Amino acid sequence: MPFTLLLDGEPCEIEILARQPRLLLAVNGRTYLVEPKAGDGMVRIDGETVAFARAEIGETQFLRIAGRTHVAERAGQGGAGGGGGSGANAVKAPMPGLVIRVHKQAGEAVARGEAVITIESMKLQMALGAPRDGVIATLLAEEGGSFDKDAVLALLVSLEGE
Amino acid sequence: MNTPAFSKVLIANRGEIACRVIRTLDAMGIASVAIHHPVEAAARHARMAGEAVVIHGDTPVAAHLDGAQIIAAARATGAEAIHPGYGFLSENAGFARAVIEAGLTFIGPDHATIALMGDKISARTFAAAHGVPVAPSVLQTADLADFTARAGKIGFPLLIKAAAGGGGKGMIIVRHADELQAAANRAASEALRYFGDGRIYAETYVEAPRHIEVQVLGDGEGGVIHLHERECSVQRRFQKIIEEAPAPNLPPALREEICTAALRIAMAARYRNAGTVEFILGADGRFFFLEMNTRLQVEHPVTEMITGIDLVRAQIEIAAGAALPAALPAPRISGHAIECRICAEDPARDFLPESGRIGRLAFPTAPWLRFEHGLTEGQAITADFDPMLAKLVTHGPDRETAINRMIEALKQLTLLGVTTNIDYLIRVLDHPAFRAGDLHTGFVSAHGAALALPPPGRQARDHAAILAALGCREFVDLVFATPEPYASMGLWRN
Repeated sequence: MPFTLLLDGEPCEIEILARQPRLLLAVNGRTYLVEPKAGDGMVRIDGETVAFARAEIGETQFLRIAGRTHVAERAGQGGAGGGGGSGANAVKAPMPGLVIRVHKQAGEAVARGEAVITIESMKLQMALGAPRDGVIATLLAEEGGSFDKDAVLALLVSLEGE
Repeated sequence: MNTPAFSKVLIANRGEIACRVIRTLDAMGIASVAIHHPVEAAARHARMAGEAVVIHGDTPVAAHLDGAQIIAAARATGAEAIHPGYGFLSENAGFARAVIEAGLTFIGPDHATIALMGDKISARTFAAAHGVPVAPSVLQTADLADFTARAGKIGFPLLIKAAAGGGGKGMIIVRHADELQAAANRAASEALRYFGDGRIYAETYVEAPRHIEVQVLGDGEGGVIHLHERECSVQRRFQKIIEEAPAPNLPPALREEICTAALRIAMAARYRNAGTVEFILGADGRFFFLEMNTRLQVEHPVTEMITGIDLVRAQIEIAAGAALPAALPAPRISGHAIECRICAEDPARDFLPESGRIGRLAFPTAPWLRFEHGLTEGQAITADFDPMLAKLVTHGPDRETAINRMIEALKQLTLLGVTTNIDYLIRVLDHPAFRAGDLHTGFVSAHGAALALPPPGRQARDHAAILAALGCREFVDLVFATPEPYASMGLWRN
């Protein structure tokens, strides 16, 4: 079964074709001969030395290769997606900041795009709208509270009768 | 300047600028005191300083804005002077006065000068009174309707700003008369919310202007020099991201005129310490006074690199009573310097701030570059503070060399664990319009499509995927979980 990653937001399938005598991998169907331990911060891929730097923050890997930064996550591991398909139900913070105002309380109906919460980060205010029509099921933010990027601030449920 | 300076100085700041000031204090043999909120106890500036004092507040920023607590820390540690850095309390006239009243020295201008220049209206009135051009404008009176009527007569486009503002907050461009009323209402309410002062003013909006500023040093006794200009036109969200000195493609006569105008303001104010006079320059060569910043600027290193003058040392010596010879000529300049602000933000999402953690930090070193930072590996990057993480500054014998050195240095800079603008800065520097010095404050949006992240090549993507996979324990386990029939053949990694 191929190993699946989200690289810069796009799915990537990596398959181990052979371990012997050399490691042979397929990335989305294209094959590469890999020497993983070519040196500190280096691998050799198809005979070419690739230098890189890596940092892991939680489930996320940051890679810098040839003056370009990539972000990778294990696919289907929950993480930023919140799990349980909450994506379309969640009002998520696009940046870290403070809650300035809560416009809708739990139990209130909202239309798609209607402001649920106003946040502020670096004196930049932004109204976060509902991702779809629904009812606020859970409000996870309170005025004056702070949060990190991608925090879920409110969850919606479908309107009754839908 | 052989006046004895101080034995100990407290730095009322954090991050890269606190580290920068400590470096000069060390070189001068002056003891340093850092302040930090409990959340930043492991911060680089707190560890670099000879002593570190914990300050408290509801938020970390509130602690850094608590002047009384900071002055108490200075007195408790025996510091004789306070260096405010930039931001926080650096342009707070009340703080500057309180420092003096506590029997300490404020390394900056007189509090009356800070108050004069801190209010946009009084500052521009002062500039105009001393023969420095200001953009046609209208001040708000008690009657907002009267204000909009008079503002409309200046002509469009108009820029509406908060009188007490700064950093681009509460600024609105109005292109048509029918938008004016709503824009004025919004600007006034934003001004009240951000600055506690709802006064606004409207002025001629110069299309595609350049932002040119002049570094000055004064001794408070009438001795004033300028250290040439800086170009700070490349901005996003009205805030600078790339600065350079000298300004490219500036005709010598115009350069002279702008620097002389700055000097005239500094002389009229009998300016003391380091300051910066900011101007906007139109494509037609007309320039207008924008504001005077009564502190060290973020971008001061580009001036230091072309003049060889340590501005922090100059600030400390002036604060200790050193005099500048009156009518001293501006120092000679050598080569060209560029600064890039490394920010925790996502250029692909309209430069929204990002949070994360510094997982890995590695930076190049060379005689022609400075990496100014206050970072440590493992440090959390949160919304608590400004998203600017560090500054990279390069120098070269000419602009092209400085640009190429910057691109190379940015490629070598490894700052992983939070999304940054590093790769974006490389694209800006390498853009033909930037290389040609064809700059204006709308550069980032005007070239938005060309500056967008190009999709990586298939091979680069695949290489990244392989490295990402090899960074996952589960994948490495799969690789090493050699099925029995092969185990006897030995491990592939040998």
